[in-house]
Amino acid sequence: MSSIDTSVPVSTGGSKVLAWLVVLAALALLVATPFLPNYYVRVVNGLLIYILLGIGLNIVVGYAGLLDLGFVAFYAVGAYTYALLASPQLDLHLPFLLIVVIAAGLGLMAGILLGIPVLKLRGDYLAIVTLGFGEIIRIIVNNVDWLTGGPKGIARLDKASVAGIELARPVEIYWLLLVCVVVIGTLVWRMERSILGKAWAAIREDQDAARGIGINTTVAKLTAFATSAMIGSIAGVIFAASQRFVSPESFALQESVLIVLMIVVGGIGNILGVIVGAAILILMPEVLREFAEWRVLFLGLLMIVLIILRPGGMIPRTFGPDKLIRRLFSR
Amino acid sequence: MTLTFQNLRKHYGSNVAIDDVSTSFAPGLIHGIIGPNGAGKSTLINMTAGSYTVSSGAIHLDGSNLCGLQKFEVANQGVARTYQNIRLFDQMTVLENLEVCYYPQAVGQAWKEILWPPFATEREARRRAACMELLSFFNLQGYAEAEAGSLPYGRQRMLEIARALVTNPRVLLLDEPAAGLNHHETAELTSRLAALKSPERVMIIVEHDMDLVMSLCDRIVVMHHGKLLFEGTPAEVQASTDVQTAYLGTANDIDDIKAAAEDRRAQLGIRARRRS
Repeated sequence: MSSIDTSVPVSTGGSKVLAWLVVLAALALLVATPFLPNYYVRVVNGLLIYILLGIGLNIVVGYAGLLDLGFVAFYAVGAYTYALLASPQLDLHLPFLLIVVIAAGLGLMAGILLGIPVLKLRGDYLAIVTLGFGEIIRIIVNNVDWLTGGPKGIARLDKASVAGIELARPVEIYWLLLVCVVVIGTLVWRMERSILGKAWAAIREDQDAARGIGINTTVAKLTAFATSAMIGSIAGVIFAASQRFVSPESFALQESVLIVLMIVVGGIGNILGVIVGAAILILMPEVLREFAEWRVLFLGLLMIVLIILRPGGMIPRTFGPDKLIRRLFSR
Repeated sequence: MTLTFQNLRKHYGSNVAIDDVSTSFAPGLIHGIIGPNGAGKSTLINMTAGSYTVSSGAIHLDGSNLCGLQKFEVANQGVARTYQNIRLFDQMTVLENLEVCYYPQAVGQAWKEILWPPFATEREARRRAACMELLSFFNLQGYAEAEAGSLPYGRQRMLEIARALVTNPRVLLLDEPAAGLNHHETAELTSRLAALKSPERVMIIVEHDMDLVMSLCDRIVVMHHGKLLFEGTPAEVQASTDVQTAYLGTANDIDDIKAAAEDRRAQLGIRARRRS
């Protein structure tokens, strides 16, 4: 019996050093952020929100292989839940954590609501329907003026607070986001490794054969949609609480596309890939800010080059957090 | 533990694929289903596994009706199958291809496993050990961490059979397991399948390789034009003039017979040469 080389393809001499450099750089950024000027903290906060969104969408797109182009709808559900329940708009001022729970519940329902009609769809057809769903939510929000304030949005949202501690300044939001990313990221990573994650992968690989081994694909897919939507919705709450203003333009189609791009560039189906993809696509425009109108062009070129050089994304699917840790401490 | 077909029919519009088939498959035996192309062998397998709906009639396993159940429900009743064209989860590892089969029995505790790592570790270790044992039986243990899609063709066939066995099914349906295998691999397959015989299990094999069918099967069902033509032991099947006619035509078509035999020989020759 021949033995099989199971090491990941990126394995080369300097890869351990590279892994350490990247991890240390990321840790340094996380440690330094609270001491940076507010502008930089806001940039990092934006990055963390997109990582959260990417982790959520990756469940549907990366694990279960269902291309969802309307993810931003769930983000909007969360943001508007906070905006309506913690602002003068309806004169409701519920506590932050309660709203997080309500938004998670609404997100879950919205996820199932989208999931049911698209159960039989795959690929292009699924992408088009979900894209439509995303637009429908945005257009509803844009037109139900009496409730959502229409295009003007909702302003003067309450400051978030948890256990009497106010979370309003960028640094405070930063800590909130960091905790959320770590907790949710860990849970999703455990889901990926669990029997549920394996069932999602089986559905991605061959849906019919997955049914043949006894997987109720309807339930498994709806679980993916619901979990993913819940995370999107929670991200929306934090986004609204940090901006203290929401309007429909934050939830345009391009946001959904950006999140999908993050996943594809970083490495589809891999939580580390999501982080790397978000870092590239969110931080790069900031770095290129001086070039003003050229930066979208740069970004486009960069993406073309990345996809040609690494068609599977920056990080291969199999190189998960466990492999990273093993790589860091390998001899 | 007997699988029975009762007046089974399947038609697509006016096209009848399975016409009033009634038979039963006893546990502890290996049953073969043979017949010329288009006889309805695979349709029978697909109906049993819940992939196709049944037009009329019934399929009973141990007295409970399998008709009208969804495919995953049929699987959870203990019916496992392999496919004519290999259908593995290509980008998952060999081990994961087997582990995922525990989904129906593990999903109820999935949240507990996700939220409470020690609980998961123990259960995962047990599942993995069982899968590794099965891999060893098929001599695939060295491939455990390899992607299933990267395996040689013969190994993929074995892996697909291993995957069907993870949940210890009551009915094992094998749709042309020897297709595309060379002589050496077919011999290995035959011995493995013989070892899988169990008084707790109904085994049904659809196969064109007559050597394998005649040496392995205890009973053989011959299908022709969607009808059950003959049923009996390998010796009885070989002696039946009806079966010979179905495969080769009547004595009047002697030229056709020769042509068909020539064709077959040429095909076999090509296959043998390609394999060597």
